[in-house]
Amino acid sequence: MSLVELAFVVNGESVTLSVPPFATLLDVLRDDLELTGTKYGCGEGECGACSVILDGKVVNACLVPALECEGAEVLTIEGLAFGGKMHPLQQAFVDHGAIQCGFCTPGMIMAAYALLEANPSPTEEDVKRGLEGNLCRCTGYRKIVDAVLSFAGGGA
Amino acid sequence: MPLEQSDRYLAPHTVQEATQDAAGQGAAVLAGGTDLLPRWSKGVVKQPDALVSLKDVEGINGIARINGEVRVGALATMSEIASDPIIRDAAPVLANAAGRIACPQVRNRATIGGNLCNASPAADTAVPLILLDAVLDIAAWNGSSLTAREVPVTKFFKGPGATVLAPGELLTHIRFKPLAAGAYAAWDKFGTRPAMEIAVASVGVAVRLDGGTIVHARVGYGSVAPVPMRGRKAEVALMDRPLSAETIERCQAAARDEIAPITDVRASEGYRRDVVAVMLGRLLRNVES
Amino acid sequence: MNSQSSVVSHQLVPEKQRAGQIATKDTLIGKRIPKLDAPEKATGLARYIEDMKLPRMLYGKILFADRPHARIVNIDTAAAKAMRGVRAVITAADIELVPFGFGQDNTALKKDKVTCTRDEVAAVAADTPQIAAEAVSRIRVTYEDLPVVASTDEALAEGAPVIHAKTPDNVPFQFDYSHGDIEQGIRESDVILEDTYTLGRQAHCCLGTSGIIAHFEADGRLTLHSLTQVPFLYKNDLARIIGVAPEKIRIIQPPIGGGFGSKLDIHPFEPICVFLARATSRPVRLCFTREEEFRATPTRQPMVIHLKSGVRKDGTFTFRDVRMLLDNGGRTSWGATTPWISMRTFSSLYRVPHVRQHVDVVYTNNIYACAFRGYGNPQATFALESQVDSLAEVLDMDPLELRLKNAQKPGETTGQGMVLGTCGLADCLETATQHAGWGKKRRNVKTSKRQNVAAPNQPDRTSFSRDPMGSASTDLSSHRHIAHGIGMASLFHVGGGAKIYRSDGCGTILKLDDFGGVTVMTGSSEIGQGSETVIAQIVAEELGLSISNIRVINNDTELTPWDVGVHASRTTFIAGNSALRAARDARRKLINAAAARLKRKPDDLDLRGGKVVERSSGEPLESIGKIIRGLHFGRTKNELVMTTDFYEPPSTAPDKEQKGDISACYAFGTHVAEVEVDLETGVVKVLRICATHDVGRVINRLGIEGQVEGGIAQGIGYCLAEELKVEGGRVCNPSFTDYKLFSTTDLPELDVSFVETNDPAGPHGAKGIGESPLIPVAPAIANAIYNATGVRMTELPLTPERVLAKLKEAREKETISD
Ligand SMILES: Cc1cc2nc3c(=O)[nH]c(=O)nc-3n(C[C@H](O)[C@H](O)[C@H](O)COP(=O)(O)OP(=O)(O)OC[C@H]3O[C@@H](n4cnc5c(N)ncnc54)[C@H](O)[C@@H]3O)c2cc1C
Ligand code: FES
Ligand code: FES
Repeated sequence: MSLVELAFVVNGESVTLSVPPFATLLDVLRDDLELTGTKYGCGEGECGACSVILDGKVVNACLVPALECEGAEVLTIEGLAFGGKMHPLQQAFVDHGAIQCGFCTPGMIMAAYALLEANPSPTEEDVKRGLEGNLCRCTGYRKIVDAVLSFAGGGA
Repeated sequence: MPLEQSDRYLAPHTVQEATQDAAGQGAAVLAGGTDLLPRWSKGVVKQPDALVSLKDVEGINGIARINGEVRVGALATMSEIASDPIIRDAAPVLANAAGRIACPQVRNRATIGGNLCNASPAADTAVPLILLDAVLDIAAWNGSSLTAREVPVTKFFKGPGATVLAPGELLTHIRFKPLAAGAYAAWDKFGTRPAMEIAVASVGVAVRLDGGTIVHARVGYGSVAPVPMRGRKAEVALMDRPLSAETIERCQAAARDEIAPITDVRASEGYRRDVVAVMLGRLLRNVES
Repeated sequence: MNSQSSVVSHQLVPEKQRAGQIATKDTLIGKRIPKLDAPEKATGLARYIEDMKLPRMLYGKILFADRPHARIVNIDTAAAKAMRGVRAVITAADIELVPFGFGQDNTALKKDKVTCTRDEVAAVAADTPQIAAEAVSRIRVTYEDLPVVASTDEALAEGAPVIHAKTPDNVPFQFDYSHGDIEQGIRESDVILEDTYTLGRQAHCCLGTSGIIAHFEADGRLTLHSLTQVPFLYKNDLARIIGVAPEKIRIIQPPIGGGFGSKLDIHPFEPICVFLARATSRPVRLCFTREEEFRATPTRQPMVIHLKSGVRKDGTFTFRDVRMLLDNGGRTSWGATTPWISMRTFSSLYRVPHVRQHVDVVYTNNIYACAFRGYGNPQATFALESQVDSLAEVLDMDPLELRLKNAQKPGETTGQGMVLGTCGLADCLETATQHAGWGKKRRNVKTSKRQNVAAPNQPDRTSFSRDPMGSASTDLSSHRHIAHGIGMASLFHVGGGAKIYRSDGCGTILKLDDFGGVTVMTGSSEIGQGSETVIAQIVAEELGLSISNIRVINNDTELTPWDVGVHASRTTFIAGNSALRAARDARRKLINAAAARLKRKPDDLDLRGGKVVERSSGEPLESIGKIIRGLHFGRTKNELVMTTDFYEPPSTAPDKEQKGDISACYAFGTHVAEVEVDLETGVVKVLRICATHDVGRVINRLGIEGQVEGGIAQGIGYCLAEELKVEGGRVCNPSFTDYKLFSTTDLPELDVSFVETNDPAGPHGAKGIGESPLIPVAPAIANAIYNATGVRMTELPLTPERVLAKLKEAREKETISD
């Protein structure tokens, strides 16, 4: 199998590595870069657990061939907290009880992050639509939606 | 023994290079990858020998108005189409359909070219394009030069997963005329849940009335036949008639009759017929109001 | 904070109901405490099973039979073994086959015969997951197909193929229960209804798929990173299967991506992974893909419930006669035992003098079922609460009134011998309906002109006049096609554990460091439900410390004391009680030491805010750390503050007749659902759910709301959409594309409230809640659909297609009778 070189920026750091042509961004993040905060939930775009920000847009890392990210910037959940301090959106998830088993949480937060970047004061409906691709089996979503709305409503 | 992996990943920069690469033995074209990747990773289809990424190909992205037509690059994503001012103005019905595909994550990657070339009977942009009488620009490398042909969207699909594209042919653009002033076009899809649903059935209608009479009619269906289909009988039921309850009923009956749904894990044949009729009725009644 | 459209309100108990424990001003009990493990989860740093790598770790993969019923003629592993990077390929021939599971009819790998598509036939360990997958695809198995038994009907038919030789009639289990005398009950009844309810397969759909890492140490000890919910029982059972002494097995539980009952049993992939680790002498990780998760993990138990019940004209329940038919699939996991819980709802949600239940568990070549949140209770409650609604209608009684009339009351002992110390059912009924505007909404419904949507569902039964309570507007000329309805259902469940094993206890080891830092080692696992936080809260409360002083260790059998496991909504109650008692011992020690040191009476002192304070004034006297250090470094005597506790609840195991007070307390609740039905497509939209639960006492408000909201979501899914479809033994929809989970856009308005009955047995009065919120959701919605349309749905899930079919059927009947 032939490997292809891939150079891109992950959470602000430049990364160069060799990947097989069919590796997904999810494979590379989890296996090569050990950024395991991005989760595998289905591998087919249905659950959102692998959501990351690719050049400013939220995508499912399991659906992106890694080599498509040449020269791109990727932001994962690990890139949100800074200096040992959670990003206010992460804090909002914690404070609102939006986390149970936590498996959906990184993807949920990244999708919410993208939503808020694009629309800093979303309505409840906007939040629901913005998170429609992220499954959570534990919380029933109420507290997740509340966490995002609280942040939108003037959180940090 | 090593795993069978694609040997090559190609990222051409021009349509010509792309068609040349795509014509190679065992090559597959990659746009957003939202249809291709799940199939590879689940092993439903074998990974191709070479991957031809379209991401750097110039000239087949973006949305523009050219010579009174709207021209959509094959690489335009669903997110772009859903929010693009030209589309929202000239063909809001297409923007609506694109905005209802899957979820933001998928819409940010999924391209209209991929949606059409994938040739799912459930492809959500196909029905609006049928309503718009869209044509598709196709490019190919014939061994010595780049050739081009155009195919109306209704002639593009051959069956589930099959199109008129020959190996190495590339869909480059989708073109259509803006909806005529006074025309009304609407599309809806039915899924059992509000989000993330591949259509159990979808329906679109475009009509224009003149003095209370329907003078132009287009009807399209998704997920109820091997390919996204134009509803010619339903159109006949509408043409030259007033948009009355009776006309709507005739149209619904024609629709039930001409579609050819199947029973699968998502819904039964009969249910699909019911739902198509209901949606068609609702779309048409909205015209009145 | 909360959105405008959704009110989450919290019913406070009237002051008079609050017994004993008057909370001090700054109590932690009842507060909204974020989960202790939330920050590591929010930052992506929590390491779930598939995030873990051990040095030299291999990747395991299983070959599943993929055919429902077949004899294994030959397995050829040569091509797989020849692959570079493949370290082991094993089949049944390579391992000792020890039967396990409730029916002792399962083995890790299958030898002669496969009895369902998910049967494990061979397994590979390889350097990468890709190589392992490729190797599995190169294993050639020759099968001789056998006739497939695709349903219980086929299994029970004359001359049906035998699935397991030791069970020639395909009926491995039958359970019977009764109290009273059904014949007498029938004689005493004025109205008798009989209905059949069909309940489908719901998949757990834990967002993190199943997985395990097995790793042998140099001295032959085995370390398992396992997601089990029952580490101590698991260790014991697994030991036999894999031939390792239980005391040589260490179970470490990484954070788990959802449990809901799915991790209660030993699943074949777990011993298989151990066999691979043994075969390779290397650590092996085996994690499922989503598709494997759908195909090869058990579901909620599907069943058909035939229910017959009677009532007097005045609304007094007389008898209930239940027959249940369970499709057990090709092997037995816990699913077969779910009727043990179902029967408690039939016997004890309401006062009924005569109850009988007969259960047939039948082998088929379908996939099998295990425990799933509610454990047979959602199925029973759907049948029971649907029929109670029908009874109310025949009696021309408000369903609320009928339920109130028959509701169990505090102090009563149910027909099945369960002693209800506290019972908030009547309060739940009243609170939930009040929040929902029940009277008003149902009155509106009554007065609105009933339009001919549907005929009564059972026109041939008892001829009380049928009140036109349905509201529906299908005036086709104006094309109004939406009908509104409201419905309710209640629930009964164990709230203080369930003594189904010899012990239902939990141990705690608690130690304080020199500075007031507390480590609590508890036997009970955290599976996302928030038990860790509740335990920390209880300990912090007792010791007057901040919650940040408490560390809970709950995931390593080498450190933690015994516990029976996370199930039966028992953790808050049992582990909470144990932690509370361990903390009380530590507190006593601290107070006594402080009293001696400060020359005060112990009763005059209290622990608050990290200090020893004067109880009456709250005046701080000394830091707790100083007291601890005083004990540790004393002049005459040296002591550490370390306590242990083992709490065994005062419940009793059921007797041979399945009677007995199996739980230390019982949970109740009522949900009211408001729905909108699209009469032309059958789509049901849940607008609002008002849920009231008797939780004894709220310990962590944030956590308990989360449990209720999450349970409701799973319940809505179970009711309306979720079904793992199996045809001819094969799973038809093994992906989220076709197995639809509830998402944000389906979220209805929620009104969650609590009735606090302060159960004297519970820690601070609390009862268990984990499973309850899912249980009444489906019947509440089904009853609302009936209220909206006059159509009684009896088969879950209530997909639009099923609803439309019933609506059409009803319309046809109507036309014929016109
Ligand atoms: C979770 C999820 C939900 C989805 N929901 C919907 C939905 O609701 N409605 C819907 O319609 N679809 C849905 N899809 C399908 C998919 O997202 C769309 O069909 C998408 O538009 C495909 O575009 P793509 O760019 O990702 O295609 P790709 O996967 O890159 O390609 C698809 C096919 O088209 C070929 N191809 C792509 N571009 C060209 C070109 N320019 N010329 C020639 N051949 C080309 C490729 O070789 C491939 O065979 C969903 C997918 C996922 C994963
Ligand atoms: S893992 Fe990518 S969407 Fe589920
Ligand atoms: S918290 Fe468990 S899946 Fe969302």
